Amino acid sequence: MNRRQFLECAAILVSGATTGRLAFALTEEQMVYLASAPDYTSQKVDYFSPAQRKLVAAIAQTIIPRTDSPGAIDAGVPHFIELMVAQWLNDGERSIFNAGLKDIETRIPEEHGKAFDELDGDRQLAVLEALEAAASDSPWYVQGNIRRAFISDAPFICQIKELTAWGFFTSEVGATTVLRYNVMPMRFDGNTPRTPGESTWAPFNFYH
Amino acid sequence: MTDTTTHDFDAIVVGSGITGGWAAKELCEKGLKVLVLERGRDMPAGTGYLGEHAPSWKLPFNGKPDRTLWEREYPVQSKVYAFSAANIQFWNNDRENPYAVDEGTPFDWYRGNVVGGRSLMWGRQTYRFSEQDFKANAMDGHGIPWPVDYDEIAPWYSHVEKFIGVNGKKEGLAQLPDGEFQKPMSWFAIEETIHGRLKKHAPDITLTNARTAILTEDLPGRSACHYCGPCENGCSTGSYFSSQSSTLPAAQATGNLTLKSNAVVERLEYDKATGKISKVHVIDANTRARSAFSARLFFLCASTVGTTQLLLNSASAEFPNGLANRSGVLGHYLMDHFLGLGVAGIYMDDTDKYYYGNRPTGLYIPRFRNVAQQDQELDFVRGYGYQTMINSSNWTSAFNNKGFGAGYKNALREIPPSWMFYMGGFGECLPQQRNRVYLSKTKKDRFGIPQVAFDFTWGDNEKAMAKDLLAQGERIQKAAGAVMSIAFGDAEKLSVPGAGIHEMGTARMGDDPAQAVLNKHNQAHDIPNLFVTDGSFMASSSCVNPSLTYMAFTARACDYAVTQLRAGQI
Ligand SMILES: Cc1cc2nc3c(=O)[nH]c(=O)nc-3n(C[C@H](O)[C@H](O)[C@H](O)COP(=O)(O)OP(=O)(O)OC[C@H]3O[C@@H](n4cnc5c(N)ncnc54)[C@H](O)[C@@H]3O)c2cc1C
Ligand code: SF4
Repeated sequence: MNRRQFLECAAILVSGATTGRLAFALTEEQMVYLASAPDYTSQKVDYFSPAQRKLVAAIAQTIIPRTDSPGAIDAGVPHFIELMVAQWLNDGERSIFNAGLKDIETRIPEEHGKAFDELDGDRQLAVLEALEAAASDSPWYVQGNIRRAFISDAPFICQIKELTAWGFFTSEVGATTVLRYNVMPMRFDGNTPRTPGESTWAPFNFYH
Repeated sequence: MTDTTTHDFDAIVVGSGITGGWAAKELCEKGLKVLVLERGRDMPAGTGYLGEHAPSWKLPFNGKPDRTLWEREYPVQSKVYAFSAANIQFWNNDRENPYAVDEGTPFDWYRGNVVGGRSLMWGRQTYRFSEQDFKANAMDGHGIPWPVDYDEIAPWYSHVEKFIGVNGKKEGLAQLPDGEFQKPMSWFAIEETIHGRLKKHAPDITLTNARTAILTEDLPGRSACHYCGPCENGCSTGSYFSSQSSTLPAAQATGNLTLKSNAVVERLEYDKATGKISKVHVIDANTRARSAFSARLFFLCASTVGTTQLLLNSASAEFPNGLANRSGVLGHYLMDHFLGLGVAGIYMDDTDKYYYGNRPTGLYIPRFRNVAQQDQELDFVRGYGYQTMINSSNWTSAFNNKGFGAGYKNALREIPPSWMFYMGGFGECLPQQRNRVYLSKTKKDRFGIPQVAFDFTWGDNEKAMAKDLLAQGERIQKAAGAVMSIAFGDAEKLSVPGAGIHEMGTARMGDDPAQAVLNKHNQAHDIPNLFVTDGSFMASSSCVNPSLTYMAFTARACDYAVTQLRAGQI
């Protein structure tokens, strides 16, 4: 549902509630609603080299592959990561990221004879698992919750995992086809049956 | 009315938030011409709610906090859970409108800067104070006795509840009086399970619907909640109470309301000859143009800290320590609830159940300590309650799992086989003379108005209470069958003062003019046409969320003021 449809819907809801107030009638055109704004990932960005772009896509897809549902590439995660590295990470975090990516860019061909994105799936997994094993004492792995801030000195593997998961489950593809999403449920029922393998609802808010 | 001098308006209300909206509605409906002055920007209902229903993929950084912007412009406001990229336009810009954070002691001052004030972002928890709450000061000697008792305010609670719409369940508890409720929202299966176990294993504990100012039944011009979830982004269907959804349209409908936004009230002018306030001085927030408006009645509803600042800044030869401050208590006895302490429990029950829709509130455990009389074994007076929430976790609390690939993806996607029942305590704070708001001697804001500073420290009673709150929380989780419980919060440090966002008490009411700024009608002891009805009037804090009480006293004060005005007494 877009913003206009929603406001029309809201007008009907409210008029059903007798003597309409409809204060939201006219000025809609003048306002920029986030709900009808372009997607964050619709912006252009040119931060990675073409080779790095391939690496990042391959890493993201290894973290969240396509299964019977879409994966990281289907959801536009590589582009999200490039935007976030360019715009959101601070200088210190960005240099950790860049160094980590550089390491994969140079070390993997030395060790395996080809680039990370050309390795077969098992090899790719092994590379990431080795990075995770080396990073496992980072506070990033402490079971926490979303209210924690981004951990500034988290190693590269943690950074890219967080950006991949975030970019994936907050994307339209991830939230609506992998998770479930409904902005107008119209009722609450706390006692619905659960079927095995069912997905969670996409969270409606991201507490920080 | 006997006053023959011409005035610009019959009444001026400063602030358009929860209490200002109520004052505007009541005074307009009684036939007065009312001017509401609001320092914040205009915020039209619906069209102003830019982030309402915005999906994550439309938000900047897909909803990750814009750290640079938040740290630079909103270092205080961005700490609260309700602040987000989807409602940033409601909040005060801390850089543009600072307070003296480096003076005194730390205090987080959360505020809006728009028409509607914090009514747009509030948590909507709506509880009555009890008879015991109104007697507490007189009984245990902390603070001064309330000049009003429960029976006197009860009809005003009803008046407000019926109009704003509160959903809840009657429980017949003396410590949490029932009100005029719409039908309660339904429960998670796990909440029913917990409820059943508590009845058996902890019969002293009541688990009830959080009483919440959200419609479950239509009211004129407002529709029942559609369960989208993030109320703090605004609600075009007017389903939760805000000034925009409720009081301001009612005031507008009378034809008696004039509302000016961007109108910063700088000070009030006292007229020696009449012994009354004659006008308010206003600065336009955009142009800095100055103006003044006169009226017969003045209602201060600028929030506790805003009103206290205004009164202190309106000192004159007659009132050298601040307007209406012959008692010397203005600015003192600041209170806030402590929160952020509690116990979360993990449950393995009802894992064949899930939910549909986002219920925008939780359940509530009312006070059970020192009820009716002081529990002999306790080393603190008064009490606390818990707000509870069900957390069915999702990817946001699992993305730092180890592993990669289909297994990792599935673990983040699937419904976890457990529930979390979160209990967050809210504790009563005693009124203490040393806890105060004052004007900085050196710092001014962009309008030349002295900034406020805070001196506030928690007392031993709050700390002792917090310890008990944690221990009892563990007992309750155990009785309810939690397989594991996690206590959070530090009973020695408590929350940062102000984080409860229930600041109150700095112009307290009381029968004795030597000890109180206001009389029992929220009227200044010293000045008959000056009324203060935001949280500054509070003589004690109870442990329940206070805004309903502010609204009830506001409505009652309006009734009294107009009667007095018509009788020629003001
Ligand atoms: C996130 C959050 C959750 C909350 N949850 C709850 C809850 O669940 N239950 C509850 O009871 N309370 C809750 N509160 C507290 C509640 O919002 C306040 O108690 C309530 O809004 C106070 O009403 P008020 O009218 O005094 O102040 P406000 O609603 O803050 O309104 C004051 C208005 O006065 C204006 N103003 C200030 N100074 C001036 C001036 N000099 N000139 C002109 N205008 C001025 C301000 O801009 C503002 O619009 C919550 C608050 C927040 C922020
Ligand atoms: S959850 Fe209900 S009250 Fe809250 S914003 Fe959505 S519709 Fe409005």
